[in-house]
Parts: sequence; structure tokens; C-alpha cells
Amino acid sequence: MLKLIGAALVLFAGTMIGFVQAARFAERPRQIRHLLHALQRMETEIGYGQTPLPEALARIAQVLPPPLSGLFAETAASLQSASGGTVRDSWEKAFRSGWSATAMRPAERDAMLRLGGTLGGSGREDQLKHLRLAMHQLQAEEAAAREDQQRYEKLCRSLGVLAAALVVILMM
Amino acid sequence: MPLQLFAMFPADLRTAIEHLPASLLETLEEIRIREERPLEIGYGGRFAFVRPDGTTTDDPRAAYRPGRETCRTLLERVTNHSLYAVEEELRRGFVTVAGGHRIGLAGRTVLEGGAVRHLRDIASFNVRIARARTGCAAELLPHLLDPQARTVRHALIVSAPQQGKTTMLRDLARAISAGQWYHPAASGWGGRKVGIVDERSEIAACERGVPTFDLGPRSDVLDACPKAEGLMMLVRSMSPEVVVVDEIGRPEDAYALTEALHAGVRVLATAHAVDLADVFARPVLAQLAQEGMFSAYVLLSRSQGRVMHRIVSAEEAADLRTRQAGRRTWAAPRDAPDAAPTPQARSPNAAEADGPVEAAGARLSIKPRPLPVIRSPSTPAKEGT
Repeated sequence: MLKLIGAALVLFAGTMIGFVQAARFAERPRQIRHLLHALQRMETEIGYGQTPLPEALARIAQVLPPPLSGLFAETAASLQSASGGTVRDSWEKAFRSGWSATAMRPAERDAMLRLGGTLGGSGREDQLKHLRLAMHQLQAEEAAAREDQQRYEKLCRSLGVLAAALVVILMM
Repeated sequence: MPLQLFAMFPADLRTAIEHLPASLLETLEEIRIREERPLEIGYGGRFAFVRPDGTTTDDPRAAYRPGRETCRTLLERVTNHSLYAVEEELRRGFVTVAGGHRIGLAGRTVLEGGAVRHLRDIASFNVRIARARTGCAAELLPHLLDPQARTVRHALIVSAPQQGKTTMLRDLARAISAGQWYHPAASGWGGRKVGIVDERSEIAACERGVPTFDLGPRSDVLDACPKAEGLMMLVRSMSPEVVVVDEIGRPEDAYALTEALHAGVRVLATAHAVDLADVFARPVLAQLAQEGMFSAYVLLSRSQGRVMHRIVSAEEAADLRTRQAGRRTWAAPRDAPDAAPTPQARSPNAAEADGPVEAAGARLSIKPRPLPVIRSPSTPAKEGT
């Protein structure tokens, strides 16, 4: 009896691990897409509205879903605070500390950090160019992420179940 | 003391400035920050260098020298981390920060087709501290009244830089919109609708469109708008009774002012000039004066921290001009045909004894306006035939 309960628990845990892994693969392209939307929005705020950066970041944070909104909200708050540093420092701090909560990889983070180093520091045309460059990089990453998703999402799910089943068989 | 402004400075710079003696901070006018060069302040008409601990010195070698990082952080803060949003301001060489303080910038210009497109490598900052002096127009405003129309006359405020033009203009706008005319005869006039075109964001110091300086209850501000366009926009959209503009001098300003005048709007403007002769030497101002745009010229000067003013009526100005040019070609001013008697202050007792508006009107002795000669446009043609 005890053995059966144990086997069921192992099976359940294995399946869940597989599902969590699969979810990360599914989540990554979605989050990259959200980042792209955020950058597109920033392009409008800078190019058309000429909104000051702290305000633009705060607005973007409002429309993004949770793990990403935190990154922008933290940068905006740091810029608006009285002792706020430069954009580069605030941005880097927020993105380095908050990145682990997202499903994205270092490649996307590096693209965003490079963008942070130039934000607010030059004229409008230049800013738009940097934003487009970052968007191109993210688009490439998104394509790769989608490929990974197709390849590994189902694999992860079935691998979890199968690995759990293997363990159960070995234990029996 | 503009704490909000100091909060914008990087830490080491803020320490130096905030530790200045309180009496000096009260009269602080300018903070000049130059990269790798001594920190300088201007106060009460004098200047001094500042040591890192906030004591002043005359020796530039002992002074605090802000470094490259400090200056870059300062630039980022004063532009609100958004150089792209202040491109137009950079092209003109200054930005205005919260509180209406103007920060002049100098660096290396980037040219495009011979015109300044951008400013980069900014290494000099001149922070000009703006202060609202509520009530500083109390002595001037009574002399600018037009009792017939129960409003203010077209006036041009003239002075050299740093003599308090903008401060005066701001308080005039406040007093007019609040109906605080500082004149017994005008006590029942009420406030006027005031439209302010605030190209440099210095008059109102708007934050998200809301003025941070007190401009009275009936003011509308068009923030950061070019004067010429802004004047027309205000007249069309906000039906002002008085428009207030700062530092006119470009040809399109003159055109817009003339338009506003013919729309029945009173104009209060300022211009950079040391005296009236200077006004007439500037082509745009001279043209405006010649057309009789302004019926009063106010000359401001500052001595020992007090702002003195002298009012010159259009007639006197015309005479002055005639003496210079040898002939008089001026049109009559359009609002008040005659200036109020010379602006010597009467004793307050006499004013009280005189009582209500009629007496005051008599005292101000308005001459009937001379009718202009009307020429029919077709007459010369008929004569020709």
C-alpha cells in the first residue's frame, strides 16, 4: 500500500517537473513578445510623445504582465527617486536582479542591457535607432525561442512522465 | 531656498551648495558649474568660488572642481534622463527645470547645414535661480492702468539681463488675473483673463501643464510654445483679455503682437535692452514702437538688490525718437491716447479722500482720443483719372 502511494507521488512529481520545464519553454517566446511590445511602446513614447524617460518607463510597466512590469517599474522608481543615479546604473541594477524571475535567457538580457546603456543619452533619431536595433535582436531570439518551444515543449512533458515511470519501475 | 533644485544635483555638488551660509543662499542668483574648473556662485550682485565643504573663497585654486562623472550625472538629471525630449531646448542652449529655474548650457555644437542641430560634450552649466516675488508689481501696476477700458495698457518692459524682468512680468500677470490693481479707483474692476505664452517655461514654471508659480485665478498658460504661434493660438482659443509674453525680438513676434492687438487684446511684453535708445535700435522693437503698439515703456534697473522702475509714455518715447531721428513718423498708440499724469506717487490720503471711480477718472485726466484721418482707398485712383 505504502509502495503504491510512493509510486504515485513519484509519478506526480516527475510529471510536474516535466510540465514546469515545458512551461518555461512556452513562456520564453511569450515574454520576448511582451518585451518587443514594450520597446514598440517606448518607440512611440520617445518618437512621438517625447515623454520623459521615467514617465515612459512607468507607463510601460503599467501595461506589461507581472515579471516584466517589475523590471520597468523598478527602473522608473529609481530614476524618479531623489538620490537616483544615471539611467545606465538603474537599468542595469533592475534587469540584473529581476532577470531570474523571467523565463528568458542571457542573450535577451544582454540585448536589453546594451539598450539601457544608450537610453536617454542622445537625440531622438539616435534613440529610435538603438530601440530598433534591440528589437531586431529580440526578434531573432524570439524565432529561436519558438523553434526551441516546438522541439522541446512536448518532449519535456513526456520526458517527465516517462522518467517518473522509469523510476517507479526500478523501485518496484 | 530652492531645495527641489538642489535635490537635482549629484551628491558632492549638493554637499558643497547646501553647506553655504543661509544668508548667502537667500540671495543666491546663479550657480556656475564647469567641468574640471572651480565651482562659482553669484549672489547679491557679487560672485565667489566655493570649497568642497561649502565655504566661499576668492581663490579659484582652493575651490571645488566638479569632475566629469558629476557633470554627466547633472546633465542627465536636469534633462530628466531624456535628452531626446529637450533637443529643441538644447539647440537654444538652455533647459528649464521644475521650479522655473533656467539652466544655461555650453559645450560643443553639432552643425547641420550651418545651423546648430545639437549640443554635445556639455561642460558648462549656469543655473539661474528663479524666485517669485509676490507684490513686486505693486508700485508699477497703478501706472499702467487704462481707466477708460478698465484694464491694463499695452506695455513693454525693458531692461538689461538679470534685472528682474521676468519676475516683474510674472507678478504683473498674477496681479491682473487676481484683480489686485493696487489702485483705489480700480478696486471694483475685478480680475482679467490673462493668457501667458511661456516659451521658456520661466514665467509659470509649469509642471505637467500646471503652473507652479502663483499666477492668479484667471490665467491660462501655453507652456513651451513659440511666442508667435502661441499668441495666435491663445487669441483664437482662450479669449484672453491680456496676453503676457517674455522676451520678444523676432520678426514673427512682431507680426503676432500686431495681430493680437487688433483682436482687442492687451499686451504685456518684455525685451532685452538697456534703455529706450536700444529699443529703437532693434529693428523689430523699433517697428513695433513706430506702429504705436505700446503705450508705455517700463525701464527696470536694479541697484542694491532693489528693482527700480521708470515709466516712459509712448509720447515721450516718440519725442525721444524724434530727437534722435529728426522727424516724427509715429502713429498714436491704440489703447490709451494719453498717458496718465507723470507717475509720481500721490499721497495715499489724497487718494482716499477722492473716493470713487469718477474722481479717479478725472484725476487721471483722459483726453479724448484724436480721430485718425480716414482716407478712402479709392481716392487716389479718382484723382489720377
